[in-house]
Amino acid sequence: MAYLELKNVSKFFGTVAAVKDFNLAVEKGEFVSLLGPSGCGKTTTLRMIAGFEMPDTGTITLDGEDITSVPPNKRGTGMVFQAYALFPNMTVRDNVAFGLEVTGHPKAEIEEWVREMLALVRLPGAGKRYPHQLSGGQQQRIALARALAIRPRVLLLDEPLSALDAVVRVALRGEIRRIQLGLGITTVYVTHDQEEALSISDRVVVMNQGLIEQEGSPEEIYRQPKTRFVAAFIGTANQLNGEVVDRAQVRFGDVLLQVPVPSHLGASSRVVVLVRPESIALHATAPDSHQPNVLTGTVQTITFLGPITRVAVDVNGTRVVADVIAANRAVLAHNQRVWLTFDPEACQVMANP
Amino acid sequence: MRQRHSIFQILLIGLFVTYMLIPIIATYVFSVATKWDASILPEGYTLEWYQIAFEHPYFSITLTNSFIVSFSAVIAGLLFIVPTTYWVHTRLPSAKPLLDMLMILPFGIPAVVLALALIRVYNFAPLARSPLLLISGCVIFSMPFMYRPVSNSLMAIDVHTLTESALNLGANTLQILVRVIAPNILPGILSGSLLVFATVFAEFTLANLITGASFKTFPILLVEFTKQDGRVAAALSVISFTVAWIASLAILWVSGRGRKPMEEALGAR
Repeated sequence: MAYLELKNVSKFFGTVAAVKDFNLAVEKGEFVSLLGPSGCGKTTTLRMIAGFEMPDTGTITLDGEDITSVPPNKRGTGMVFQAYALFPNMTVRDNVAFGLEVTGHPKAEIEEWVREMLALVRLPGAGKRYPHQLSGGQQQRIALARALAIRPRVLLLDEPLSALDAVVRVALRGEIRRIQLGLGITTVYVTHDQEEALSISDRVVVMNQGLIEQEGSPEEIYRQPKTRFVAAFIGTANQLNGEVVDRAQVRFGDVLLQVPVPSHLGASSRVVVLVRPESIALHATAPDSHQPNVLTGTVQTITFLGPITRVAVDVNGTRVVADVIAANRAVLAHNQRVWLTFDPEACQVMANP
Repeated sequence: MRQRHSIFQILLIGLFVTYMLIPIIATYVFSVATKWDASILPEGYTLEWYQIAFEHPYFSITLTNSFIVSFSAVIAGLLFIVPTTYWVHTRLPSAKPLLDMLMILPFGIPAVVLALALIRVYNFAPLARSPLLLISGCVIFSMPFMYRPVSNSLMAIDVHTLTESALNLGANTLQILVRVIAPNILPGILSGSLLVFATVFAEFTLANLITGASFKTFPILLVEFTKQDGRVAAALSVISFTVAWIASLAILWVSGRGRKPMEEALGAR
């Protein structure tokens, strides 16, 4: 049995299902992210684990104990909120100590533990300051220290970085992962930022409209998206609409693409071929005739993205984007004719309903 | 054009301030005047009226009674109105329009009607015409003055997230209310308490009709003196003003220390 388990959990708001028949098993010490667009049910799921929402059906167990109807202040889950959750009337020390004081821990132990927590989040000297005297990133570090101070069985993070600016966000997510690994604490992290989810999680659960679209390691989610939604939501993927010819070929316009076609897709079924921009090579001259998967078109837009340049090419009316190392972009010009090639292994074929 | 505009504004504000201050100043002067009926300023000054007021056997009794009623109303407001407002804000937001409407009702019901209704409904011992019934009436009467500022303060803070953070850390409802919510809505609680205290302290109709002579309050004594000697009544009014001022300053002073960091915090948002 997994450490934290959600079984057949559903939650309705009125007649709208926020979460539908949700099943998730989180192992002890694992870092799982719930990823999806706003309104996909990820926050509702997290709030059910914390006890702020009661599931309409299903059970939640933690360390073998059924906590479905345990009130939130008896669950021992530590939660970090999006923003403004520190108590503005208390100093940093009092904020971190709050959870220990209300549950009646001895004073000496509290002082010791507060010191330790502040050192853990690398703000050892902030104890006497008030939340408004701290930056947004520092406030979230304190919120993390406060949540960890109660020695929670699970750490829950509800988009803790979304109110922060980009640089702080990247730095702090690294900190969160470092602390999580150091303590070995089971963590559920909610975010709508796919880069964030992929970079810090052991496992990612992609949600859409209250349902799990796919769960797996960040690599699996990125390399083998199971649905078009996941493919479109995670990173950028070109979607080429075509028709199956045989087990290894798909017709895309007047080009026969060499791609691995899954066995459940029969001949002449409508499919979509997914290719990531970084898997596509761009050529200024026509490549060798024996190359598989050659598309040709004219350059529409050239977008400089720092280390890479993203080139959008119009291939007979379909927009296909390819990433080129920035240094190689000099030869490109608008409306220039270019050739695109990609390996069959870089493609994924899925049914096009 | 601009100049004339500002002169007009100053004039208007000046008129308004004069209009507000003249009765108060006149009361203060009248309370120390020997005779003041045929001259612009009093003919002489004396503290005799204060002496009469202080020496009156009912002076300290009515003052004490008024304090009892006012403080009880404030405490009842703190015990009932504040938690109810918090509860509706966090758990029953759909009931907020109803509560808002209920809190306007006391303004719509004349005090005479409220008093007579209370007397008729609670006409049995030990409630009938008791100080307890008077206090209850005053609590209803002064409810909106506690509710409004508290409700506004609750709207100004993120009461949901603060409540959930505290719950998540293991706090119970009482601990959340006392340690997290109350300190963050202190300005609202304070102005609510002051308004309730001042309103109830000056309340005449309910006291006169419900308890009357059996439990005289300060305004009743004041009205009695108005019929005998206006100058003693003026002295009593001045004392009443002073009590209100001292009570206000006391509450502000007591809360002064805890309030500062929070004001800074709210100012920083």
